[in-house]
Amino acid sequence: MKKLTTLFAATALATLMAGSAWSKTFVYCSEGSPEGFDPGLYTAGTTFDAAAHTVYNRLLEFKKGTTETEPGLAESWTISDDGLEYTFKLRPGVKFQTTEFFTPTRDLNADDVIFSLERQWKPDHPWHGYVSGASWEYFSGMGMPDLIEAIEKVDDMTVKIKLKRKEAPFLANLAMPFASIMSKEYADKLEADGKMNQLNQMPLGTGPFAFVGYQQDAVIRYKAHPDYWDGKQKIDDLVFSITTDAAVRYQKLKAGECHLMPYPNAADVESMKADPNLKVMEQAGLNVAYLAYNTTQAPFDKVEVRKALNKAINKQAIVDAVFQGQATPATNPIPPTMWSYNDNIEDDTYEPEVAKKMLEDAGVTNLSMKVWAMPVARPYMLNARRAAELMQADFAKIGVNVEIVTYEWAEYLEKSKDKNRDGAVILGWTGDNGDPDNFLDTLLGCDAVGGNNRAQWCNQEFDDLVTKAKEASSVEERTKLYEDAQVVFKREAPWATLDHSLSIVPMRKNVEGFVQSPLGDFAFDGVDIVE
Amino acid sequence: MTEVTIDTSISTDPSRRARLAEFWFYFSENRGAVIGLVFFLFLVVLALAAPLVAPHDPTIQFRQSVLLPPFWQEGGRLEFLLGTDAVGRDMLSRLIYGTRFSLFVGVIVTTLSLTGGILVGVVAGYFRGWVDTFIMRIMDIILAFPSLLLALVLVAVLGPGLTNAMIAIALVFQPHFVRLTRAAVMAEKTRDYVVAAKVAGAGHLRLMFKTILPNCMAPLIVQATLSFSSAILDAAALGFLGMGAQPPTPEWGTMLAEAREFILRAWWVVTLPGLAILLTVLAINLMGDGLRDALDPKLKRS
Repeated sequence: MKKLTTLFAATALATLMAGSAWSKTFVYCSEGSPEGFDPGLYTAGTTFDAAAHTVYNRLLEFKKGTTETEPGLAESWTISDDGLEYTFKLRPGVKFQTTEFFTPTRDLNADDVIFSLERQWKPDHPWHGYVSGASWEYFSGMGMPDLIEAIEKVDDMTVKIKLKRKEAPFLANLAMPFASIMSKEYADKLEADGKMNQLNQMPLGTGPFAFVGYQQDAVIRYKAHPDYWDGKQKIDDLVFSITTDAAVRYQKLKAGECHLMPYPNAADVESMKADPNLKVMEQAGLNVAYLAYNTTQAPFDKVEVRKALNKAINKQAIVDAVFQGQATPATNPIPPTMWSYNDNIEDDTYEPEVAKKMLEDAGVTNLSMKVWAMPVARPYMLNARRAAELMQADFAKIGVNVEIVTYEWAEYLEKSKDKNRDGAVILGWTGDNGDPDNFLDTLLGCDAVGGNNRAQWCNQEFDDLVTKAKEASSVEERTKLYEDAQVVFKREAPWATLDHSLSIVPMRKNVEGFVQSPLGDFAFDGVDIVE
Repeated sequence: MTEVTIDTSISTDPSRRARLAEFWFYFSENRGAVIGLVFFLFLVVLALAAPLVAPHDPTIQFRQSVLLPPFWQEGGRLEFLLGTDAVGRDMLSRLIYGTRFSLFVGVIVTTLSLTGGILVGVVAGYFRGWVDTFIMRIMDIILAFPSLLLALVLVAVLGPGLTNAMIAIALVFQPHFVRLTRAAVMAEKTRDYVVAAKVAGAGHLRLMFKTILPNCMAPLIVQATLSFSSAILDAAALGFLGMGAQPPTPEWGTMLAEAREFILRAWWVVTLPGLAILLTVLAINLMGDGLRDALDPKLKRS
């Protein structure tokens, strides 16, 4: 009898304890598996959501819901008068996460910052090629290797970065996921143990959530970092449930199996809004979708021909049929939410008759062209094949015969860069750092010909404006230059600008504190579940 | 059957007409087969007369009437009997024109793989030895791959498009015909009538194609009908994966793929092409069943 009582008491106690230890678990139905957990190595937003925004912090962070930067791990910074020296003062007492696989013994210091950036910069750094084929795509894509002169440690809590030339977007670049700050102590231990690969598999940083485990293609688990410098998160556990199909994600959300999902099918949004258990957040996305002509090839080297084709495209029809209205037709190569957007530019109106006449005047008849349609859905273009079919019908009206071609996604991106590419390409861009330079120079500058400049368009006037804007220091001056650049762009028409899409995030009613990022990131710090 | 073909390869048994009557007798025993045949003939007529029957051009986009439901549903219009798709094209017209592509794919693929299969199979079965081993190992290799996967790889190499999809599917179907022909040829080759023909001085070619082959046709015909439906199915699958017919071709599989995202919102854009594929394949399979009943001597009642 006594034994039984003890047992009973023990059970009661256990139940009580379990009750008090009830923890809040937030489940995010993510759209795909991360490529790895080192944000410096990759370019996919999926990877950044899984690694950069959970485990890591950066020197500067984007203020939630904006593209403005705010202090992150750097408490403050000063820029020298010539704009070439940036001195960062680090935040004191920032703790690294303690996990099952590593226990840190010291707080964040200058060594960590130098390690994180130098490994991407110096080819002879022991961590430069620690995974096979490491290319540090973003770091080199942003032109950092040519830009940085030196990274110096002033004292334990101060880092100085010297640049070779003035570069206005530099601070914003440091807030991007590739510039995440890692723990040098952890890296040293991995190096000593000969397990360098682990840095890309079991990340450890200063961020709001600590990595617990990853099951390939199924689930990633995190727990809140108890000593996070900005305070412990309200949720205790964070789970990424990897669900690649948008329809399945929606079903899971409906059933309450997850709290939030990215990238819904446009066709499902209406029913999501009608569901009393769900709420839907909408925001103009920082993106643009375009049709890039190959401006080096006849007859697309003629402005009149490009203009005529632009006038033949019914953009509203694309917005309606592909986005079910959840997008706006695009006029400029940068989205309207971005600073320096030129409101005075008028879009090409949809006038098939005029377009036909223009083509005839340009001496082009019986034109046959290829239109490349992306094989995947991206936020800026949910269904490129459908858009291509609509353009095919539009172009048929002005006597232009269109063949739609498509390739596997990686091949598509690679082949479309070719200078001798045959045909116009449907593609788009989501901003990385909220700077117009990230659109105008990255996508249309002369340097990007044969790369991101899918129109292969090198216009000296445009390029001068954009380069000047990069070096100008005041925002007013830069705004003026970018506005002028947009005028040149519209006059020369290397692209048909198609749309800027809304980014739509459906979630359960009881989710609070989620802020949509204009950069398309999904970050869960500050999120709470209310019962 | 062998007795009557003893001296010549051209059978001299009951007149052609009587044989046809016998064939029809056994074929019509199977009611499913008759229904299948009727439906198949209906499809053939539909395909041939598509421009006359279809109410609209299958590629014309009515931008004002996107995703209209079929006429009996609320919001549907008689103008578009089965509704419209995501860019406003008439579903009925697209389905009717789709028959053309599906039947075309079936005919071409079956012809290609049948002729190729018979040629290679007869050679392998007749000559045996290293020729046979060589051919059959290649066929085994092709068979070792899942058929759709191999077709996908081939199309990826050749480039997407209906023509390439047909070539790829024909190639994938090849081994079935080769094996079947080879087995039948091997069985027939040792028969007395073949030996007799050989003794009478018939050359290799005559023996292969005039003496032996006509007696191997029955299983090949059945296999051909079955391949016909599989070809339609595989072409639809390739179209669904974006590797088959390219837009704006109204191919059923491609239509299905384009409509996937509307499965909850607009059932007709997804269901109708799927139903069309289902019914066509079912009809042809039933027909193939009846053919087997009629052609296989083992199944005949005496």
